[in-house]
Amino acid sequence: MSAPLLTAEEIVVRFGGVVALDGVDFTADARAITGLVGPNGAGKTTLFGILSGLLRPRAGRVSFDGTDITRASPQRRSRLGIARTFQRLELFGEMTVREHLVVAHRVRMRRDRSLLRDLVGLGSRPTLDEDETIAGILELVGLDAVAEQPVILLPLGTGRIVEIARALATAPRIVLLDEPTSGLDVHETEQVASALRAARDDRGVAFVVVEHDVELVLELCEAITVLDFGRVIARGTPSEIRASTDVQTAYLGTRAAEDVAP
Amino acid sequence: MGPYILSGLVLGSISAVSVLGLVLTYSSSRVFNFAHGAMAYFIAVLYWWLTDDQGWSVWPAAIVSVLVVAPLLGLFLWAIVFRRLTHATPVVRFVSTVGLWVAIPALARIIFPIISAGSDVQTRGLGGTPPGQFDVLGVTVNWNQATVIIGAAAVAVGFTILMRFTPLGLMTRAAVDSPRVAAIAGINPSAITAISWMLGTMLAGLAGVLLSPLLGISEIQFTLLLVVSLAAAVLGRMTSIPLAFGGAMAIGMIQGLSEKWESANLGFVEFSLDGFKPSVPFVLMLIALLAYQGLRREQFEVDLRAGPTEEEVAPAARLTGWKAAIGPIAVALVLLSVPIWLNDFWIGVVSQGVALGVLFLTFTVVTGEGGMVSLAQVSLAGIGAFTAAKLATDAEWPVWLALLAGGAVAVPIGLLLAGLTLRLGGLYLALGTLAFSQLLRFTVFGRDDFDNFGSGVAIDRPEFLGIDFSISGGRDNFYYLLVIVFMVAALVVVNLRRSTTGLVLTAMRSSEQAAATTGISILRSKLIAFGTSAFIAGLGGGLFAVSFGRATNVSFEVLVGIVWLAIVVTWGVRSVLGALMAGILYVVVSPPTDKLSFIFVIIVVFAMMGETARLIGSKAIYTARGALLGVGVLAVGITAIVLLLPVEIELSEKAKEVPTLLFGLGAVFLARQPRGVLFDVMNRIRLRQLQRERQLADGATAEAAT
Repeated sequence: MSAPLLTAEEIVVRFGGVVALDGVDFTADARAITGLVGPNGAGKTTLFGILSGLLRPRAGRVSFDGTDITRASPQRRSRLGIARTFQRLELFGEMTVREHLVVAHRVRMRRDRSLLRDLVGLGSRPTLDEDETIAGILELVGLDAVAEQPVILLPLGTGRIVEIARALATAPRIVLLDEPTSGLDVHETEQVASALRAARDDRGVAFVVVEHDVELVLELCEAITVLDFGRVIARGTPSEIRASTDVQTAYLGTRAAEDVAP
Repeated sequence: MGPYILSGLVLGSISAVSVLGLVLTYSSSRVFNFAHGAMAYFIAVLYWWLTDDQGWSVWPAAIVSVLVVAPLLGLFLWAIVFRRLTHATPVVRFVSTVGLWVAIPALARIIFPIISAGSDVQTRGLGGTPPGQFDVLGVTVNWNQATVIIGAAAVAVGFTILMRFTPLGLMTRAAVDSPRVAAIAGINPSAITAISWMLGTMLAGLAGVLLSPLLGISEIQFTLLLVVSLAAAVLGRMTSIPLAFGGAMAIGMIQGLSEKWESANLGFVEFSLDGFKPSVPFVLMLIALLAYQGLRREQFEVDLRAGPTEEEVAPAARLTGWKAAIGPIAVALVLLSVPIWLNDFWIGVVSQGVALGVLFLTFTVVTGEGGMVSLAQVSLAGIGAFTAAKLATDAEWPVWLALLAGGAVAVPIGLLLAGLTLRLGGLYLALGTLAFSQLLRFTVFGRDDFDNFGSGVAIDRPEFLGIDFSISGGRDNFYYLLVIVFMVAALVVVNLRRSTTGLVLTAMRSSEQAAATTGISILRSKLIAFGTSAFIAGLGGGLFAVSFGRATNVSFEVLVGIVWLAIVVTWGVRSVLGALMAGILYVVVSPPTDKLSFIFVIIVVFAMMGETARLIGSKAIYTARGALLGVGVLAVGITAIVLLLPVEIELSEKAKEVPTLLFGLGAVFLARQPRGVLFDVMNRIRLRQLQRERQLADGATAEAAT
């Protein structure tokens, strides 16, 4: 088995006196969908902040494809191939769907570095390659019909898919998703799930999914890490997690776990 | 030494009372009130009117002004403006309070006709007339000074008791910490905010009443009061009342003591501390801002849930194809036809307006595109103007080259400033750039080689290709030149907006977090916006100086710049046409012939009519026909006024305040329509079109279905 793509080792985070993460290890493999679950306050969002670079750990190490990125800025992570989405939608309110992808693609292609040409009105036309890439992503996640719509007119579920598409336009190797289905109905959740599967199968992109919806994670992910009170309490395939008594205790309380246990 | 300490203590006490109100209102509503000094002015004028004109004795007058009228004023302003600002963008928050800053003194002078703009009157103090005196430790103290110190101490004690030991204080502290949780606990956050605005206005009023017998009632004094309060609030990190109170005292003491050493003789060299006293608040503010930067960054890392910086307004359907060209071509035709229907005097005025329009594009870039409130643009324009004037007049460079050099010199200075202050973000960026501008004004522009005792540095009009641009024969040519420069600059700004850089800036403005994780370098993008805007400011400043004949200190005062920004934002900070309109309107109000103000009044009234129509629910003015009718009436109105020009219209003192007042009201309306007047009108026309097209399309599908 090859080395994992994204690794966090012995991560410690404290907010004031509160220990949010206490020596957490986490790995995500290339071309796989990895789930990160846990009850409220387990430290999922904090670990997510560490992986995406918006938080710095007190101790521990984050590495991506063999490179240490513990202190790398979000911009640098993006260039290395790590993208993310946000739990509360963080779309660019004044743009259309296509423009979201255009800006992500051009930044990736370093086409944002031509101020003088921009000022005289040159150098901002879409290239053939850009048009193809963006059309490809729009079709892959099923956004072609709304490509020219301003994003603030879109429903929440479609907005989530726009975030995923914007992440894909940075040509990532891994995308971190922060509760991609919170607030969505069953139908929208299914749309998001199929967009993820399509991107993984078609582009070989890996995903890390932080989720409340345990059923979705069990169904979608190949590997799952379970956090509780800032520690990892279980790690494994969906069937292993389903069988774990620790996980049942964390989610359902001790009594229920005893009831379930043989 | 003694008298200087006393003077510092008195100054410090007054601003300590004032800053208490500023910090209180900021903590409860997150609105930083630039109108704080203006409120103090209003109450001080009322106090003067009561004592001097109505013959009241001082104590009843003070009690009515500070304890009755001031809270009512605070409540009223909260109801019409501040209430709406808590959730507005930083730019709108800033500009709305600046609008009040300009409008409230004008209102005071209309209501209380005993005072006129620029006057400086001394009121009777609470310590008796003339105040009695007594000696403390060999220093003579008069009762007016003593009242100030006792008053500040009483406010400090009373305020502490109020906050610590009363239910109201407890509720206020709860609401300040977390409005949502407080609301769940049964506290009405908006009632608390209203009370804090009433208290805040009371404190401002008290500071005004204490200040006026000692330093007089003049707008300058009250602006200084605001400035010291700003600096003290920054020292208190905006929310710490004890730190802000102490900071105000410290600034007062340093300023008082600096009077002792007005010039220092070091034996071999004598140097003047002339510019030192007024710079004290800004030096301290800048140091504090830079020192707090480190603190803020940590805070930022924890605060993962920082929301979007720009409110989300449905973008209207963009016009495409030939329709998109109609607007710019129409504007160009109107501009180019100006020399046909205006006389020489007016061409001169409009020329200055167009030059100012170029300058105002700096706000379109840094605030409109970059989403940053910079108060240093006026100083960057000043740098451009003085550089161009010095190079053209002293070094005898060709004028056009000197103008470009002025723009180029502004860029590194702008980038340096940006590098220092950008990480601060939002309000702190505004305050940091304000401090920088003021320092530059006192230490550089105030020097004799630039200021030249108020007359500034002369700069001639350019000459090239043998075309006459001179004041005598080439008025029209010079005007055309400015229009062309504006067109080119506007095109560059539009190009920037539509380019990849523009997309990147738009992304950053909407969500810095999402932009950063998309790989956008936030610092780099902001530097680009700042650098570009600095060049435009420098060039525009030079052009403005040329159209004026000289670069003068007063043209580039920081306060002037703040009013500029407010006007541009009111008209639409995202629109190049908005910048042009703002530029022309600004100079139209300025000329000494008072009747010209009427034109401005009419134009503003029309703009406001649109807003009012919206408020009362009538949408007729937004239909294409309604807009056309409006433009037609406007044209007829302006023509009528131009024809009437030879007739002398004597304007009363009151009427002269009307344009200022209207401008202030414009800023109040802005709190309701953050994108500016132009955007509002255009957006409504376009949305209407869009609706109609959709209805047609729906009708067609429905028919096809049946």
